[in-house]
Amino acid sequence: MNATLINTPILSARHLNKVVQSAEGELRILDDLSLDLCRADSLAIVGSSGSGKSTLLGLLAGLDLPSSGSVHLAGQDLSQLDEDQRARLRAEQVGFVFQSFQLLDSLNALENVMLPLELEGHADARQRARALLERVGLGQRLNHYPRQLSGGEQQRVAIARAFVAEPAVLFADEPTGNLDSHTGERICDLLFALNRERGATLVLVTHDARLAQRCKRQIRLEAGQLVDTVPAP
Amino acid sequence: MSRLPFSRLLALAGRQLLRDARAGELHTLFAALLIAVAASTAIGYFSARLNDGMLLRASEFLGADLQIKGSSAASRAQLEAGTALGLESAQVVEFASVIASDTGIQLASVKAADTAYPLRGQLRSAATAYGPEQPGDGPQAGEAWVEVRLLNALNLEVGDNLEVGRKRLRISRVLTYEPDRAGDFYSLAPHLLMHLQDLAATEVVQPGSRVTYRLLWRGEAAALARYREAVTPGLQAQQKLEDARAGNAQIGNALGRAERYLNLASLAAILLAGVAVALSASRFAARRFDASALLRCLGLSRRQALALFSLQLALLGLAASLAGALLGWLAQQVLFYLLQGLLPADIPSGGLWPALAGMATGLVALAGFALPPLAALGRVPPLRVLRRDLLPVPASAWLVYGAAVLALGLIMWRLSLDLALTLALLGGGLLTALLLGGLLLLGLRSLRRTLANAGLSWRLGLGQLLRQPLAAAGQALAFGLIILAMALIALLRGELLDTWQNQLPADAPNHFALNILPAEQAAFATHLATLTAHPQPLYPVVPGRLLLVNGEPLRQTVSKESRGERALNRDLSLTWAADIPADNKLLAGHWWQAKSTDSLPGVSVEAELAASLQLKLGDRLSFNVGGLNRDAQVTSLRKVDWNSFQPNFYMIFEPGTLQDLPTTYLTSFYLPAQQDRQLRALARAFPTVTLLQVDALVAQLRSILAQVTLAIEFVLLFVLAAGLAVLFAGLQSTLDERIRQGALLRALGAERRLLVRARRAEFGLLGAASGLLAALGCELISALLYQRVFDLAWHPHPWLLLLPVLGALLVGGAGVLGTRRALNTSPLTVLREG
Repeated sequence: MNATLINTPILSARHLNKVVQSAEGELRILDDLSLDLCRADSLAIVGSSGSGKSTLLGLLAGLDLPSSGSVHLAGQDLSQLDEDQRARLRAEQVGFVFQSFQLLDSLNALENVMLPLELEGHADARQRARALLERVGLGQRLNHYPRQLSGGEQQRVAIARAFVAEPAVLFADEPTGNLDSHTGERICDLLFALNRERGATLVLVTHDARLAQRCKRQIRLEAGQLVDTVPAP
Repeated sequence: MSRLPFSRLLALAGRQLLRDARAGELHTLFAALLIAVAASTAIGYFSARLNDGMLLRASEFLGADLQIKGSSAASRAQLEAGTALGLESAQVVEFASVIASDTGIQLASVKAADTAYPLRGQLRSAATAYGPEQPGDGPQAGEAWVEVRLLNALNLEVGDNLEVGRKRLRISRVLTYEPDRAGDFYSLAPHLLMHLQDLAATEVVQPGSRVTYRLLWRGEAAALARYREAVTPGLQAQQKLEDARAGNAQIGNALGRAERYLNLASLAAILLAGVAVALSASRFAARRFDASALLRCLGLSRRQALALFSLQLALLGLAASLAGALLGWLAQQVLFYLLQGLLPADIPSGGLWPALAGMATGLVALAGFALPPLAALGRVPPLRVLRRDLLPVPASAWLVYGAAVLALGLIMWRLSLDLALTLALLGGGLLTALLLGGLLLLGLRSLRRTLANAGLSWRLGLGQLLRQPLAAAGQALAFGLIILAMALIALLRGELLDTWQNQLPADAPNHFALNILPAEQAAFATHLATLTAHPQPLYPVVPGRLLLVNGEPLRQTVSKESRGERALNRDLSLTWAADIPADNKLLAGHWWQAKSTDSLPGVSVEAELAASLQLKLGDRLSFNVGGLNRDAQVTSLRKVDWNSFQPNFYMIFEPGTLQDLPTTYLTSFYLPAQQDRQLRALARAFPTVTLLQVDALVAQLRSILAQVTLAIEFVLLFVLAAGLAVLFAGLQSTLDERIRQGALLRALGAERRLLVRARRAEFGLLGAASGLLAALGCELISALLYQRVFDLAWHPHPWLLLLPVLGALLVGGAGVLGTRRALNTSPLTVLREG
């Protein structure tokens, strides 16, 4: 990869604002937020509940549009794309890990991981999914359904699914939020290990300080505003 | 993601469908569609095969191209007119007669035909009873072909002898098929075919006898048309000129009526199945909101996501439709089996069209009832992966109801249902449902107060019912109506004839004797006096047809299918009497009074017939009696007790009016059971007299009624299955909540037994309410039918009290079965999922 590409932000946000209407009037969830993220970086978005972390994640991932401001993902201005175009971009460039795992109950572990590859029509979906499940330590649980797996195991399946399509950017929303601390730590280890192996850019929303410290950068939100950046820009 | 090709989307939808099926997600939806398609296909095949069978026989219907049919023989001129035009002819005489043998007597429908018969189609016969049938010419002189039923009734075999009137004939073959029987789908009396040459020797046909003469013609269309023109002006009053179309129209009407009632049952099953489809599809969609959001995250566009789920549903619909069509085809085979003997034996297969139409019905129902909830899946925002509170914008009510109404309209059009009738039924049904539903709700609420001190399981069960009172009332109503329909059919099948017979006096006449010749009158009366202590008088009978009232033809003013219309289309049995019969009651006018010789003779008319024909006192009636015109003036109106089994008459003339015409006599008498020998002796002594055994007729009627009602109950099974599908679908939509509630209760210390008892209480109550509705409704309707329609004394039916028990068992069992997951899921698993 040449120097230009390495230095070009993979993800860039400028003057992001998100305002919603509520019963009490206008509610500003994000207030004039800007950031850049380069390839292979890892960013932790921290803050207390209601600070706007998940909203920011949604905007950066193209799941939602800002009230004003812009987001560029992989060189594309998301505000210029319609929902279908954003969906296509997500399929090509983005992976997700969720707090509630978001596995499909009617699919077993292997089929859940195969899903992104099946959507793209990859003929080797099964082999690639199997390989990744073995990588996350679930090689013996391929045919098990989510209800047969523990929380940690389900999250490992979710991580395998997130990485199987080799995304450029991985968004993780409180990946250890539903796990005990010991399991959560193991999940974090796995997440960062895979991230290193695959060279993806990681954006992590968490209120877990130890998890945040493992990222190269951290930003802190309070009442929708960026109040702190580590390390300092 | 680049444009996802359709083939890949389809493959993915198929895989997802199999995976969902494996997880048990689609059973109810599949079952509901299966039932809808099976009901539609079964009834579609039944109707189509009957219609095809009729069409196949269209040209054979008369056994000819054209016929003159009447109660008097065709004239020489009518015969010569046809021969002159180069037409081929055949002659047939049909009448009812008692067939006697050494072993017994049996009423039969006798057909005496010449060698040319039939002119269209072929007779088929077998050498032995149940042997292989072969086409061929009819019996020779001295021979008879009889149906297996007649052989069995008289305990005879091929080769034995029997007597028709005074003529002895040898049974030479078994009659299996007559082409012109298409218009006589069933007959109470078995058939006998003999040669016309033997007719005179029987001496059964006498002036005044009830006989049908048929002069058959075959030839070129042009010659037939010229013949029709030539003979129509000269047709006598008792004669009709018929071609295949006229007969087909009659059958077509009867079939059309049967088809309409069957299609209504089919619509009921499809409607209920549609509700089950809507409920299941709603649940299917709601449980896939997260999946839809996830797929949007993974790169599917809105349209692709919607297409994926739609294709899944379409594939499911196709699979269910195929299975349903097969099930429907099998079901109609069962239906024909249940009705064997009443319908022609060889009916065409029906082809593929009814199966295809049934499948199309299922897919239309799927589109109409499942698409609106499914459409929500395309509107799930992808942000739902982060905010689970985000739900798709609900579909416009116009879309939901519009799709359902459109689907319903298409299905009704395909079933050729009369819009006015269907709307009236639906509207009436809706009003009844609202009324009864309201009463049910009140009942349930008051039950809560009553059960306030009852055990926990009862309170839990009733609480669950009252959580969704409208759904509970709706389900109770649906099941109530289905059980009501089935109970009513069973009641009528089992009871109707019994009640009617039991209300007859113990010694009410149970035999009729017709066609007693004048020369035999005295001897017959004497013989009868030795058989019974209170012989009825012999009444003179002259067949005649009512043509005009006050010089005008009647047809325009008489309503179709009324008593009056039927009276106009056939010969009436006219009689005369000096005194009013004992069980007749004069309602208006006067019995015979002395009057001037130039005034018209009087006639007394039965009151209901008079009302149907809009006759009043003083009207002048013109009859054609044996080719002669007779006029009479209505001088009185009478009420007749038709259940008395005395000979009763629509028209009683003043004495002296008809005495100069060919007359036979009829009477009725009571003969205790097990007096067969005396009856045989009477038949042998008077072989030309037609003896009707009422008990035998009633037994045959009972057997036909049993078969027909069994077939109706079979069709109603589809409606019941559809109702159960609605129940299961409704249960599934509350299953998740029930699972959570059950887990919580068990976490708080409730035993599994308590939860099982609560389920039993809940569904048992629902089923009992349905059964109670059915029992009350059944009693109400039976009271109306007995009193208004059948004119019988009504009595309550204690066995209907079993219906609440039956309902409780059926619905209770289904409900416990449908919610067993809620009892079996570990509370820890549920609580962990939060």
